[in-house]
Amino acid sequence: MDVKNKISRRKFLSLSLVGIGGISLLSLGALNKKPISKWRFFTENEVLILDALVEQIIPTDESMGARDAGATNFIDKQLMGPYQQFQKDYRDGLKLLQQSSMEKFNSKFEELNWENQTILLKLIDKDELKHSHWEKGADKKFFSMVIRHTMQSFYGSPKHGGNKNNVSYKMLKLDTPIIIGQNRYK
Amino acid sequence: MNINSRYKTISLILSIILLFGLVGFGSFYTYWNSASPYKTCASCHEIELRVESHAHSSHQNLTCKDCHGTALSNGFHSLKEKGMMVVNHVRKVNTENIRMNEEQILDVMNNCERCHTNEFAKWKLGGHSMTYSHVFLNEKHNTTEQINFDCLRCHGMFNSKSVDEIVEPLKNKGPWKLKDKELMHRSAIPCMACHQIHQEGKPVSQPDYSNPQEAFYKRKAEKPSLTFFHRHEKININVVDLPKLKLTDNNREVAVSDDPIMRNCIQCHAPNAAHQAGTSDDRTPRGVHEGLSCMACHEPHSNDARNSCKKCHPPMSNCKLDVTQMNTTFKDKNSKNDIHFVSCTDCHKANDPKLKQKMMKITRI
Repeated sequence: MDVKNKISRRKFLSLSLVGIGGISLLSLGALNKKPISKWRFFTENEVLILDALVEQIIPTDESMGARDAGATNFIDKQLMGPYQQFQKDYRDGLKLLQQSSMEKFNSKFEELNWENQTILLKLIDKDELKHSHWEKGADKKFFSMVIRHTMQSFYGSPKHGGNKNNVSYKMLKLDTPIIIGQNRYK
Repeated sequence: MNINSRYKTISLILSIILLFGLVGFGSFYTYWNSASPYKTCASCHEIELRVESHAHSSHQNLTCKDCHGTALSNGFHSLKEKGMMVVNHVRKVNTENIRMNEEQILDVMNNCERCHTNEFAKWKLGGHSMTYSHVFLNEKHNTTEQINFDCLRCHGMFNSKSVDEIVEPLKNKGPWKLKDKELMHRSAIPCMACHQIHQEGKPVSQPDYSNPQEAFYKRKAEKPSLTFFHRHEKININVVDLPKLKLTDNNREVAVSDDPIMRNCIQCHAPNAAHQAGTSDDRTPRGVHEGLSCMACHEPHSNDARNSCKKCHPPMSNCKLDVTQMNTTFKDKNSKNDIHFVSCTDCHKANDPKLKQKMMKITRI
């Protein structure tokens, strides 16, 4: 064997180790991803606003309100699915709602007390928000959309992300799943 | 460099590349199967929510592969499935609600057996280990009651096909046959019909011995991890959230146990739509056993009830009555006194003086 072409055992082993180390490091680097967020579309700040908003629409009484029943989760899930066309409406709407809250009460919407949140939403609903950042009628349109989606989340199937633990079915005293037997023979 | 030495160099380089490839893949595969699921399986966002729910379940100390196997466990099928996930990702297909198909459910079930050997053995001995052939080819059943779509509510609930694609003919007259012969010995009520493995819960742990009361009468009740798989909605509903049965017996409201586990039983062993006692497959206790839960007598996995009488009526009791020898279906399956519904007056007249005397005697003891 030609001595010049011969690779020593030591060199072979060190090359192998460098290779394995490199591949392992690459794998680790590729897998070092950011922590999992519970939310698909919304940011954490948007979730706080929307939670407060949906709770105003269906408040907690003797049964769970829309926030605890997962309305925000429903909307978040649908925005990445069949409701993709509403993504911009939510992104802009929540931002403008926060601006309106700051302007009128000098406080974030989610930090307002219950009464002030209601006052602000009533103004939006009646289209009476003055010095508004919204285009004419856009605030009412946004609020109507959130009401619609909150209702869908609360009264729809839990598989869509809302109506946690069948809360609305229990409230309405609906047996779900329906209890119905087969025509058992004797 | 002569041809011989060039050949040797190329061979050596190829060998090193192959070795690096094998070792690299091996170390990557080993890492993948041992690292936290957050860094591996949850790399695909479609799996994130499943990983998150698993992290809060009673099985949180297990890794994904303990139950689901590795990416190569099912050979080409697994690789194809993972490949399709990439394709769906690129196509932006919403795959958040991915679920295991029936074959995968049964594969996972085989892994349940590894740890829950005792429960699995009991299930095997009980009525719920029936196979497709037991359910869909039962002549007595099929001649009396026509097979219909709702059979799949409680049997073969994970099968993605409709009943007419599973068995034929859908008539009262046979012979009947399964369209796919491989279904013959497939379990029709697998573990996941009543259990959701990712259900929120805590791993079993010892009580706090610094406060012995917590080990006994102040032990905190855990939310049952049992669920009902709602085939139509393709969701698992925790038994706590299932409706409680409102049952009437000739316009009288029957007292039904509050036990949430019983709500699961009632989803399949149910009365008719009007909820009249004794109709359809209703076995809700009435008579002397009214208000009891199914679980008061039936063992959870085997459904065995042979020792049930002794739990409440021990042979050493004051009344000195051996209830196992009474004329009920517990002693004789042909008895007219169904143990689920039997009442005192089924055997004794309401104003029977002998019965009164006997009862007085028992009370005095």
